[in-house]
Order: sequence, then C-alpha cells, then structure tokens
Amino acid sequence: MLKQYPTLRYILHRGGWYVLTFLVAVIINFALPRLGSDPVDIIMGQNSGSDPATLLAKKVSFLKDFGLAKLDDKGEVVLDAEGQPIKKGLAEQFFTYVGKTLQGDLGTSFQNSKAVTEVIGDAVPWTISLQLPTIIFGWIVGNLLGALAAYKRGTFDRVFFPMALLFSAIPFFVFGMLLVYFFAVQWSVFPAMGGFAADILPGFNLDFFASAAYHYVLPFLSIFLISAGGQAIGMRSMGIYELGTDYIKYAKWLGVKESRILMYVFRNAMLPQLTGLALSLGGMVGGALITEMIFSYPGLGMAMLTAIQFNDYPVIQGVTLIVTTCVLIANFTVDLLVAFLDPRVKAGLQMGGN
Amino acid sequence: MQATKWSVRTLPVAAAAFAILMVGCKTEGSKSSGGAFPRDQTLYVAGSQWGDPSSFNPLAETWQPAWPVNDRFNIMYETVLNYNTLTGKMEPALGTLVSQDNDSVVVDLNPAAKWSDGKPVTSADVKFVFDLGRRFPDAATAYVTQFISEIKVTTVDVGGVKTERLNFLVNKKDRNNRLVVLDQLQAIRIAPAHVFEALLKAHGDTLGNVKKLKIDSAPVVSGPYILKSYSNEKIILERRDDYWGNKALHNGQMPAPKYIIHPIYKSNDAFAIGLAKGDLDASQTFIPRIGTKAKDGVGTWLDKSPYYVPGATPMLVLNVTKKPLGDKNFRRAMAAAINYSDVSELAVSGYSGKLNPGLVMPTVLEGKYFDSAASAAHAVALGKESAKKILADAGYKAVFKADGSLDYTTDKDGKKLPTLSIKAPAGWSDWEAMIKIAVKAMREAGIDVREGFVDASQFWPAKPSGDFDILMDKPASNVTPSLPWSRFEAVMSSRNFAEIGKSMNENQGRYNNPKSKDYNKKVDSLLNAIPLVTDSVQLKKAYVELNNIFLDDQPAIPLVYLPEQFYQYSTKTWTNWPNEKNAYGPPQLPWVSAGINTLWQLKLAK
Repeated sequence: MLKQYPTLRYILHRGGWYVLTFLVAVIINFALPRLGSDPVDIIMGQNSGSDPATLLAKKVSFLKDFGLAKLDDKGEVVLDAEGQPIKKGLAEQFFTYVGKTLQGDLGTSFQNSKAVTEVIGDAVPWTISLQLPTIIFGWIVGNLLGALAAYKRGTFDRVFFPMALLFSAIPFFVFGMLLVYFFAVQWSVFPAMGGFAADILPGFNLDFFASAAYHYVLPFLSIFLISAGGQAIGMRSMGIYELGTDYIKYAKWLGVKESRILMYVFRNAMLPQLTGLALSLGGMVGGALITEMIFSYPGLGMAMLTAIQFNDYPVIQGVTLIVTTCVLIANFTVDLLVAFLDPRVKAGLQMGGN
Repeated sequence: MQATKWSVRTLPVAAAAFAILMVGCKTEGSKSSGGAFPRDQTLYVAGSQWGDPSSFNPLAETWQPAWPVNDRFNIMYETVLNYNTLTGKMEPALGTLVSQDNDSVVVDLNPAAKWSDGKPVTSADVKFVFDLGRRFPDAATAYVTQFISEIKVTTVDVGGVKTERLNFLVNKKDRNNRLVVLDQLQAIRIAPAHVFEALLKAHGDTLGNVKKLKIDSAPVVSGPYILKSYSNEKIILERRDDYWGNKALHNGQMPAPKYIIHPIYKSNDAFAIGLAKGDLDASQTFIPRIGTKAKDGVGTWLDKSPYYVPGATPMLVLNVTKKPLGDKNFRRAMAAAINYSDVSELAVSGYSGKLNPGLVMPTVLEGKYFDSAASAAHAVALGKESAKKILADAGYKAVFKADGSLDYTTDKDGKKLPTLSIKAPAGWSDWEAMIKIAVKAMREAGIDVREGFVDASQFWPAKPSGDFDILMDKPASNVTPSLPWSRFEAVMSSRNFAEIGKSMNENQGRYNNPKSKDYNKKVDSLLNAIPLVTDSVQLKKAYVELNNIFLDDQPAIPLVYLPEQFYQYSTKTWTNWPNEKNAYGPPQLPWVSAGINTLWQLKLAK
C-alpha cells in the first residue's frame, strides 16, 4: 500500500507514531499528579484552628468545587459511613477530563478559580518573549561563529573555542545572577528584574517598548551567550568532523572547487544543528523556570511550579498538554525536515525504506 | 493563611548564596522612567503577593484572593477594629471598642462609615459577614459561629449622633472564648451586604458560586484605597480621596501616597535588591543580614540585632505516638541538645533574641505573663552534656563511629531506635537551615535524627494527619489579641483529639491523649479557663502553670523567634516610618491592621 508514494507513506507512518505517543503522554500527564497528595489535603493542611465539623464542611465543598467528589442525583456529595466524602474514581475523572479537553475546556485552576486557558494565555507571551529571540539569535550567531572557527582554525579558533566552552559550561542561572549582581546592583546600568518599569502600564506606546527593551537586556544576555556558546561548539566540531571525512578528501582529490566543498560540509554539519533548533523551539514553551525566577518573569515555568506545589490538577494537565503538543509537533517537523534536507534519508525513502 | 507566602519561596541553593553575595553592595537610587505613576505619589510595597493575582473577592477563603484582599489585610475592605501590636490596644476602624467582658464585646459602628458607592456601612453589613456561616457551612468565616452566638444591635446617642451599637455575644454554650472574638473583630473584613446579597440571588443562592467571582472591576469597598488595575506583574491601588475615615479618623488628612503598587517578584533576592535600590518602599520578606543595608536607607523596627519584634516561633512538633518520642525524657534531651544561639545566628541572621523557656515570648504584650524563676525550675538545662546526661539517666545509649559521628542509639532494653526524621517543606531555605543546625547538635548529643525535606505538596497533608516523626511548624503565626493563649492552644490542646491518620488542626504531635491513662486534665482545663480570666494576677498564674507543664513535658521545641512580618522599609522616597525611636505606630506594614495608619504619616524625602 502507498508503495508508489514513499514520502506520503513516511509522513503517515511517522504521524501515526506521534499520535500514539501523544495519547500515552496524555495518560501520563493525567496520572502523574494524582500519584502525589490530594490537592484538597494540601489546602486543608494549611488551615489552622477550626473544629472538625467546620473543617469537614470545607473539605466537602472543596472536593465538590474541584469536581473530585462523587455526587448523587441531587448533585450532593456522597458521604461514607463515617461521614467522610467519597472521591470520584480515577477512570471517571479521566473520561471527564478527556471529554472536556476535546471541547477545548481545560478546566479551572484549584488555586484561584482562574480558567486554565487564561493561566496559559497570560504566561505564554512572557515565556516566548523571554526565549524565542534568545534561541533564534543564539542559534544563528553560535552556528556562524562555530562554522568560522572550524574553517579558519588558527588563532581565531584557539581564542574562540575556550571562550565558547566556558560560556556553554556555566549554568545559565548562575550567569544570570552574576549579570544581575554586576550590571544591576554594582553598576546600576540595567534594571534587576521585571519585564518593564514598575510605573508603566503595558500598551502600544514608545515608553512601554523602550522600557521593555531596556529590561530585556540582562535576561536576553543570560540565555543568549550560553546558548550561542553551546551551538558554536556543536557546529565547530561537526564542521571539523565533516572536513576530515572521506567524501571531502575524495572531493578535494577530484579537484572540486573549495567553495563547493564548503557548501557540502556545512549542509551536512547543519543537520544536527537544525534538529537541535527545532527541538529547543518545541521545548521552549516549557519555560525557563530559574531565569523566570531571577528576573521575575511570570512565565509558564513559574505557573507550572506553583501548580505542582498545590497539586493543581487542571493547570498541571493543561500546561503539560501544551508542552507535549509543542514538543511532538517540533519533533514531527524535524522528522519531515530531515527527510527533505538530508540526501541520505531522502535516498533511503526512495528506495522503499521508512 | 500562609498559602501565598510559601508557594514560591522555593529557592535554589544558589539563590541563597547569591543573597549573601548581595550583602554590602553599593547601590544608587533608580530613576523614574516617567510613566503614569509619578514616584513622589507612589508607594511601592511587596512581599504579600507571590502568585498570579486573579480574585479580589472578600468572601473567598483568605488564601484565595490577591493582595490586599487576602489574609487579614484591611486597605480595601476594612475590619471592625484594628489591633495595634505595639500597645495591645484595639484601635478604631469601622467601629470603636466600647467595652468587653466575658459575655460580650461591645462596639460602636462609626456613623460616618461609607461604602465607595455612597451607601452607609451599617450593622447589616457586619451581620451579613459574621452570620454567613449560619447560612452556608462552606463560608470562609463559618468558624465564627462557635465563638459569637449573636450580634445584638441597638441605636444609641453618642455626642448627639445616632450610632449603631453592636453587641457581639460570646457563645457561652460553645467555645466561650472572648479572646478569639477579639481576634475575629480585627481579622474579618466587612463586605457590602447589598452587593453580595444581590450576587447571591443572581447565583442561585449558592455561596460556592459567589466565592468564585473575581470582584475585580469597580468593587464596592469602604477602605482608603481601591483596586485600579492588576496583571501578573503587579497590582495597583489608587487612593479614594472621598474615604470616610479621612474626616472621621484622620483630622481631614488624606493618606500621603496617591498610588500603591505591589510588584510581584518571584525570588527573595528581588526584594533585597528592590529595597536597597529604593525601587521598593516597604516589604515583608526574609532578607539576610538586613543590618548591612542601613547605609542604603533600609530600615527596620530596631536598628540593631535582632532588628525585628518577635511575633511567632517556628518549632519542632514531636509526634509522641512514635517511639522514642513518647518518652518525655527523650524529648527534653532533644530540647537540651540544640544550640539556640547558633540557630538564630546562622539560620536567620541573628533576627532572634534570647528565647524564653516555653511558649511565652519576651515582648511587651506577652512578657507580663512570664515568670523567669518558675520557668527556670522546670526548664531543661541546656547544653550537649546536659542532653547526654538526661539520655544516660533514662537508659538510652548512643553508639558513635570511629570518626566521632553518631552511629545509632539504643533504648534501655538495648534495642536499636529508629532514625527520626524532621519533616519540613523543601526549599524553605530559612527553615532548612534551622533544622540542619538543630540536627547537627542533636546528633552530637547522641540523638539519632535526620533532616526530612519533602515537597510542599507532601508536607501539608502530613501535618493534620500526623504522618511524621517530627514536624517543623509555626503555629499561631499572626500576632493577635489572643496570644499567647492561641500558641498554647495550637501546641497543647486535646480539644479535637483525633487518632493518627485522622485530621487534627492543633496539637498535631498528639500530645496528652484524653484516652490515655496519663492524661493530664490540667492542660485542657487551663486552656479553657485562660480566655475568661480577667484578673491580671490570676492570668499570670494560669500562664505560668501552663508554661511549666509545657516545659516538663516538652511536646514541642521552639527554635527561634521571628517577627509576625519582616517589617522593613526604605527611606529613599518616603520617610517617617514608625520604628523604635519614632514609635507612633506598630511594627506592622501599612496594609496590616493598625499599621494602616502609617499611610497618613508618611512624608516625602527631601
């Protein structure tokens, strides 16, 4: 079947696996938070000094509110012989969750009655504005410098390589703290935290964009330098490896023009880097928790952390659903990209492989 | 109550190291960027909101809404009375305290009090909130009904003005506790009945549905500030120039700042930097070595150690149902082994003064109930040698390894004792540090105990159910009129005794089980009697007796004193903050109880 359309066959085959992976991920995302403590128990543990009857009433109302209690026909919580509320079974919770998710309803946060879509909608712009520019610029600059180092070698490489190694080896939160310490605290050149000045309201005006750009310098540098360093090292070693392969030697022996050889080299060296880019774009949505903390960016990493501490099922499920989807889409895109860009994979497809 | 405080306190170890790095740094004031809120009209405060704000509903549970509608903050919705933690007095808010005895607390409602929609604040509003629990068992204030049986309203003539007089009757049949009635009058905020009755009607008379409303646009409030806007980065309040209390309580003056902005920071370091740079004017977070920031214009109540006024005490709660914690000699040996000045110096930058033995603090409010001679007779002698002696006398034997570290401990039958674990939320860096120091000292004395830091989502459920050997806890964390009684109640009461595994919201260590043969009736009878004792000599006698029992039995081990809030301010923009030398107000932040009066006293720095 589909023998004559190898590319379509490849796409469907891959796509099938991704759908399966997605289903497993949804089940795991649902089950994992439920392995821990009950969110109502976490809330009740923080209550102090009330009599058992009041506390029980509160527990029942939370369970009902969160949709975790078994309800009778009248919509009242079913109690057991000791007067304790009975919880809904896991299967029932799961099917409610899947049903609602399919309708686009991700539920409401247990912590503050905020819709999960709203929680995600509020956090995603922060996360993307913190990470997207750093990932893209870091990737471009890192790869250019890495390629240059691989090609030029000599003094440039001897200075550049240890520097890149150093940057890529610093944990990014330590680097972020150092930036804050020197640029914000010691020298007061850049603001220490926040996305824009505290006395400005976000809006489409010059003041806001100027302030946002000014506040963005340190967070940008904290990730950019490190990711550029990492990319450069990868690109440099790939470049050097490709330069030493048999096909290049053979091409040189054949007397192929140097510029053409270089093109071959970088086309091949680029592939793993492209994969890396797509994957980091996919994983970006997961947030950069520590950077968000250092610079007080209310992004998705932060939302996820608070949700986990409360065992806020709907938020955990919602955020992991988004992250899962993005990572899978990114992976799928990589698979397709590689198929089209890598001549070896392409050739394999045409020969009937998958 | 603590929800907003703990949720994001999780810090990587590196952050703690960073905080130390920050100490002694030179900073300059930051410039205003010329936005919508001129710096000389804006007060920047922080530390009372960590998560994303979403609700401003005064009827929600106290941890659900955002600042300043969470906890017991009174800047938008006011309380009946304010509690001044400096003087111990109940100060006027919506009402004025007229008299109190064991049967009732009488308050005159200020006839000038008005909602922001122009309607007067009346007894109907007060009764609406205080009686909500009678209509809806899931009301946040449902517990009130055990303490107040009824609010009787009469109209009296006060200086020629018709005034509503509210008589809060102490619920004699149930808890019979005047102290907690006072607690509630300074903690429960009054919401407009006419607004919320209408909302209840529109939502099927179900409080659960009304509690979920955000109440974030054009709220009807009675306080001096109102919500202007909010986002995940900050909450902005604007002064209500027609606030009723300006004339009725503040001689026609308005609060100095036109705006109050609460930026939402995500790590503790942000507060230290913000204060030192003058970006923040007041904050209530733990900042290491605050004294070194005085040169940056950062002030605290005292200008030298301990800097803060003690308000609460983190303690180790011992689960007496676990072996060997059931033996009070073992518990006393633990208390003896810990080096408390090390805990204060190393874990909380010396913010704790010397501890009184027991549960009564050396403060203006509580000190009068403390008897140092009596407590000395009952308190365990401190020190490693003392701890070793107590253990040896009780038949315990510690076995040390060749390198001097503890291997294990045996009881008097020669049986090896299990290693005890101290359960605390991972990432609460100050608590973790306290526990590590305590563990080190106890192990040196031959007590086999270890740190057991768990995720906060594991910690909270374990607390009421008693699923721990030793639990780190800070009972009675707010300074309220009922202290120190409420601290004793939280640690020693068997009122709602429940077996391990079932929920118990005080005395989680299950001390003094009423069903056991060595049940000490005296403890609960003292706890029941103290709230009704009005004679000061008798009261001191009762507290001394209760404290002596605590010292004899040692059901918990207080480690340090911490303030109710870490009251700290910057004088870069606003000056005249109350402190020990300028003690016109209490060491409370201007959105907490009587601390609100500070807003009328602030002056711009020149």
